[in-house]
Amino acid sequence: MPYLFVAPNMFIFITFIIWPAIRGFQISFYDSIDGRNFTPVGTGNYRAIFGDPTIAEVAKNTATYVVFYVIISTLLSIAFALIVNEQKFAKGFFRAILFLPVMLSPIVVGLIWNDVLDRKVGPLNALLQAAGGGSPGWLVEPKLGMIAVIFVGVWVHLGFYSIILLAGLQGIDRSLLEAAAMDGATRFQIIRTIILPLLKPTTLVILILATIHGFQSFDFIYTLTGGGPLGATTLIVQYIYDRAFQTPIQYGLGSAAGVILFMIIFAFTALNFLLGRKREAI
Amino acid sequence: MFIYVLTERFQTMNKSLRSKIAIAASLVLSAGLVATGLPSAQAAGLQPTAAQLAAWKGKEITYYFYNDSQAELDTTKAQIADFEKLTGASVKLDVIPYTSLDSQLQARLAAGNAPDVARLNNPGLYIQDSLDLEKYLGKKYAAEFLKGSTLQVTHPTTKKLIGVPYDLTVNGPFINVDMFKKAGVAVPTSWNWTDLVAAGKKVQKATGSEYAFAIDKSGHRVSTAMSHFGAYMVDKNKKNVLPLSKARAEKAIKIITDLYKADQAPRDLWIGTGTKYSSPTAIFLAQQTPIFFSGNWQVASLNRDAKFDFAAVPNPKELNGGGWPGGKFLIAFNASKTPDLAAYFLYYLADAAQMEQMDKAAFWLPTRVDLVAKGVKYASRGSDMDVFQADAGKTPAAAYGIQSVPTLTGKIYDKLRDLMTEAIAGKITPKQVVQQQIAWIDTQLATLKK
Repeated sequence: MPYLFVAPNMFIFITFIIWPAIRGFQISFYDSIDGRNFTPVGTGNYRAIFGDPTIAEVAKNTATYVVFYVIISTLLSIAFALIVNEQKFAKGFFRAILFLPVMLSPIVVGLIWNDVLDRKVGPLNALLQAAGGGSPGWLVEPKLGMIAVIFVGVWVHLGFYSIILLAGLQGIDRSLLEAAAMDGATRFQIIRTIILPLLKPTTLVILILATIHGFQSFDFIYTLTGGGPLGATTLIVQYIYDRAFQTPIQYGLGSAAGVILFMIIFAFTALNFLLGRKREAI
Repeated sequence: MFIYVLTERFQTMNKSLRSKIAIAASLVLSAGLVATGLPSAQAAGLQPTAAQLAAWKGKEITYYFYNDSQAELDTTKAQIADFEKLTGASVKLDVIPYTSLDSQLQARLAAGNAPDVARLNNPGLYIQDSLDLEKYLGKKYAAEFLKGSTLQVTHPTTKKLIGVPYDLTVNGPFINVDMFKKAGVAVPTSWNWTDLVAAGKKVQKATGSEYAFAIDKSGHRVSTAMSHFGAYMVDKNKKNVLPLSKARAEKAIKIITDLYKADQAPRDLWIGTGTKYSSPTAIFLAQQTPIFFSGNWQVASLNRDAKFDFAAVPNPKELNGGGWPGGKFLIAFNASKTPDLAAYFLYYLADAAQMEQMDKAAFWLPTRVDLVAKGVKYASRGSDMDVFQADAGKTPAAAYGIQSVPTLTGKIYDKLRDLMTEAIAGKITPKQVVQQQIAWIDTQLATLKK
């Protein structure tokens, strides 16, 4: 009987997740330039990816993006969750504002920030100029391009992570905090010694989610920078997209890159999870 | 002309009368064809047979379509409605953004979900998937179109027609006449690239505009400037001819990259959009540049959206003047379940009456020999279209050489665009752009020999 209840979900899961994943893995061992005729090439696609001169830059870009994105997102979402949790006035309003970017389409996010960050007519540089600053080429200079996409990536997901952490915060027994306050602990001490340790399981979830999101980032970056300037914001998913869907289409190569991405995300998630469990056990 | 009048009248008749006439006409034609021994489609061509009409009734075909202007979409919808009345079949219009035209279509073909007919700008990618039009529309059908324009839709080995040129495009500059007047710069009737750059800078200085010049981020558009200096990439014999004109190509590339590097052209738009196509149309419409180098397909949108006086002006002339050949094509797919209906729909869209209607509404240039001979009378912007038509005539024959490799044209243009990006960012020099482009073309041409 229980299997009957989970059957519809399992059907969808197998049809749209498991089967395409298996098929993708299978295709990664074939070559196809038209998506209809497949020639077996063994591990040729994997060797081609590791021999591709652009893959080193893509790997570097992805690593840079993921590291900064995960660290900044986690720290800021903890900070925002703490602030919102303490708020007495217009609580709902501020939570809605924080969550608003999550509800925007990533394509819209890319387009909005493309306008905001425009070097010549963007409002950000207008403000900077009014304040006596220059006109940085956010979308023209490779280093600034990476900073811009990290910032926008954090902006998009911050509300989502903050709301999860907020739920974790509200699960903390208030009597513990009150007892610490009565014993003379400062606000900072309460956060450091009580709240953050108790928030560890939720923070671990955020770390895992942020790592997955970081590796999977593509849509808003594609509309914001298109992977430019000069490939500086081309991450692994765009590399997969370009190989699989841009002319000439190479489904085998795209699938092989997808399998590599899966293995990376799986390894990082497992590592995060194991480290988190180990710390909890201590 | 008589046939066009008949066709137009035929379409305005009520459905039952039309069916009767169509059946009667097809019977007469069939009898004639039996007598002459010609294949039915080849000789009849113009009208479907009664059997076809009966078979098509209630059938649906898909038209994979993109549009540069609203006028193109509106006209297409109206023409589809007429076609549906004429045949009893229905047409599902799939409107696709230009930037994902090929990626979506290739994914659809791979998934076994091919459309029946598509409007494309890179037909070389679909040679293996296209319907042999000769089988349905006859061997003489190709002769209805301008000879040069059918090169890209001629099968490289069988030499059969696999699509039709739907419109001819000519690259060229637009200017903001108001800004030119304000700056006291005369509207050019002939000029070279030095004059163009000087005029752009003068207008920029006088009007305080952001930029002096803007060009579509496209290797196809840059090829026009190279052609002006007498530099070409591939000739009609599928040979890499860029090594013969290296210095001339460098000159053209340097003029454009220098403008971008000096911030006198929208560098952000070119560098900040990765490997995607982008057009500075919005920048021209916002009056941030007095000169916009694009092509005639922009006329309809500019005519609708520009809040200022603009004009198409002749291409700059160095060794050569004129534009650069391009265009959009209609292809029917061999995976179609009703190939004769797909072929007839393509035929219908590209017939003289429909093409003339579209040309007038969307400011297209015709590809049909009869329409070119007759001339299309545009209700407005006639002088702009005259400029483009004149430049089409001045386009050097060597510019058509690249069309001898229809499967590679897109790749060659894209590589040039990406190398230009590196040059604009100061990562490589124009000389290196040319060197790397030569090497790339050699590699690509070598794949044809495999």
